[in-house]
Amino acid sequence: MNPPPTDRGTPFVAPALVLLSLITLYPVLSVLALSLLHKLPLFGISRFAGLENYRFLLTDDRFWNAFRNTVYFAAVSVSLELLLGLALALLLNRTFPFKGIATAIVLVPWAIPTVVSARMWEWMYNTDLGILNHLLGVKINWLGSPFWALNAAVFMDVWKTTPFTVILLLAGLRVIPRELLQAARIDGAGAWQLFSRITLPMLMPVILVVLIFRTLDAFRVFDAVYVLTGGGPANTTETLSVYAYKVLFQTLQFGYGSTLSVVVFLCVGAISVLYIRLLGRAGQ
Amino acid sequence: MLFILALLLAYGCQERADESRRDTATIVFKHGKMAGDPRSFRALLDRFEQENPGLRVRDETLPSSTDEQHQFYAINLQAKSRDFDVLSLDVIWVSAFARAGWIKDISHLITPGERQSFFPGPLEAVTFNDRVYAIPWYIDAGVLYYRKDLLEKYSLPVPRTWQELAATAREISSREKGIYGYLWQGRQYEGLVCNALEFIWSNGGEILEQGRPVINAPRNAEALTFMADLIGKYGVSPPLVTTATEEPTRELFGSGKAVFMRNWPYAWALYNRPGAVLRSKVGIAPLPSFPGHESASTLGGWQLGVNRYSPNPNAAEKLVRFLTSPESQKRLALAVGYNPARRALYKDPDLLREHPGIASLYAIFMKARPRPVTPYYLMITQVLQPEFSAAISEIKNPEAALASAQQQVSRILEMEQ
Repeated sequence: MNPPPTDRGTPFVAPALVLLSLITLYPVLSVLALSLLHKLPLFGISRFAGLENYRFLLTDDRFWNAFRNTVYFAAVSVSLELLLGLALALLLNRTFPFKGIATAIVLVPWAIPTVVSARMWEWMYNTDLGILNHLLGVKINWLGSPFWALNAAVFMDVWKTTPFTVILLLAGLRVIPRELLQAARIDGAGAWQLFSRITLPMLMPVILVVLIFRTLDAFRVFDAVYVLTGGGPANTTETLSVYAYKVLFQTLQFGYGSTLSVVVFLCVGAISVLYIRLLGRAGQ
Repeated sequence: MLFILALLLAYGCQERADESRRDTATIVFKHGKMAGDPRSFRALLDRFEQENPGLRVRDETLPSSTDEQHQFYAINLQAKSRDFDVLSLDVIWVSAFARAGWIKDISHLITPGERQSFFPGPLEAVTFNDRVYAIPWYIDAGVLYYRKDLLEKYSLPVPRTWQELAATAREISSREKGIYGYLWQGRQYEGLVCNALEFIWSNGGEILEQGRPVINAPRNAEALTFMADLIGKYGVSPPLVTTATEEPTRELFGSGKAVFMRNWPYAWALYNRPGAVLRSKVGIAPLPSFPGHESASTLGGWQLGVNRYSPNPNAAEKLVRFLTSPESQKRLALAVGYNPARRALYKDPDLLREHPGIASLYAIFMKARPRPVTPYYLMITQVLQPEFSAAISEIKNPEAALASAQQQVSRILEMEQ
């Protein structure tokens, strides 16, 4: 006989819950509280300011500039990573000689720490010593031009994180039953029909997971941009996280810096909610 | 698990308490990465321990990036950390840390008579409200590097004005193949502010005057326009300077690809290493100025201060006094090439024999100017960096950039009211 379903689990889960809330909830709440303060430890100022910081944020040009850069960075890099990742995953899902080696090579950029790869790219983008201009036979000041700089950061991010999307998508492709594809082929479906009618719909949940991970990461991008350009030239590559870091840790405006962090948090939260809804619908 | 962690933590704290109860005390000294062989610096600290029985020094190295060191100190001092006693401070931090009450007033460590023995720039930087909060340790300043061999080949003098520099650079780079005129640092970072201030000051311009912003001034605009023109109109600086920091410019110049370069004195020793391409072909001079004005170098370098929350302030002060003494500064200069902050050492025969270059640095260090000495500096520089970057990358015209900077800095300075 089964025991009656009582609430015996709670005491067992409680320590984990307490630990989790200590680790995640406490910092979140304390940043929220800080964001309502006018707090400048250098000057011994710490007073309640209500929504003053948020009001200032709405009129802060530098914030809106960083916001635009971040949205652009996230949108472009994630779309490119998804498309490239999908193409590579489809390729790696086929059988061909040296497939193991090819897969390993594709994964290499993901294994390099971001700061290291950003330093590497900084040299590759160098106008004079860089390999990029040498190969292309041009003299583009990649990181110094307001047009190229942000795109250069996007490109580096695509190079770095496409492997991540490849791994996830490849896993998704592996679980699509082969019989389904074979049956469709027998029924006379072409390659495009196979892809658009079977592979893509069955891959949708994985694609959404990829999108969640990548968009959230891209929206919080810090190290790639900070190492590559430091936000320059003239803040044209400054993202929200870079701006928040400068305000928080370089100028030590704890109140306003926390406000910026809260806004990043809210944006990321909104994006996740949106995706999770989509995911729920795709799962049905 | 948590319990074990707590036990470990308690045990860790216990040990330190025990140590201070015995008659030996440990002084913790935090600093950035030291150049050269770490053993030579440790030898200096061992000497201190010998001279002060009962005191031990534990030196702890922070990440080499200045930003990260600043972040470490800010977070820990804000939390009143007692984990370290002596700290090394960048020249631009002292007044802010003093204003925050994070570092101890150590005016009594230098007698008024002794003040004269330091260079005036660092002394100004460590003074806040007429009190001294750190002792200058070693000094840095922007200098002009030039190719002795090329200037001799075309029998041209070392330029004294910026216009001369542009003309000489253009002359030589047009006749020599694959060589740039003038390299400097223009990436959006602190180094850009150092570079820009040298142009601004050497045109009689200022950022603050009696605590009020005077950024939006014709002299400053002239200076910034000249910087942008070096790249555009005169074409003597390649566009890559707008993304350059110290190291890429040092490498380019060091591989013989430029006539002139602005950099800190550290590059000198690297260029004169045995086997270096440019060994004994490089000269050092004060940076040029605009006609009718004086040359100006931005001051860099590090100072030693005492953590206000140090459990052992007397021992910490002893260490600061020891490390900033003429003997220690001399040893450090001999061992790792750090330029002493004390003037008398530039006449020291041992040092001159080992580092002949320091003779030409003396005059430059005497005139080196600290960036605006105010606790607001870290906020001000966050405004100046993007605006200067916009001006030299021709994203904004210099007047617009300066007007915007003026407005933002005024707002910062009103913050405390």
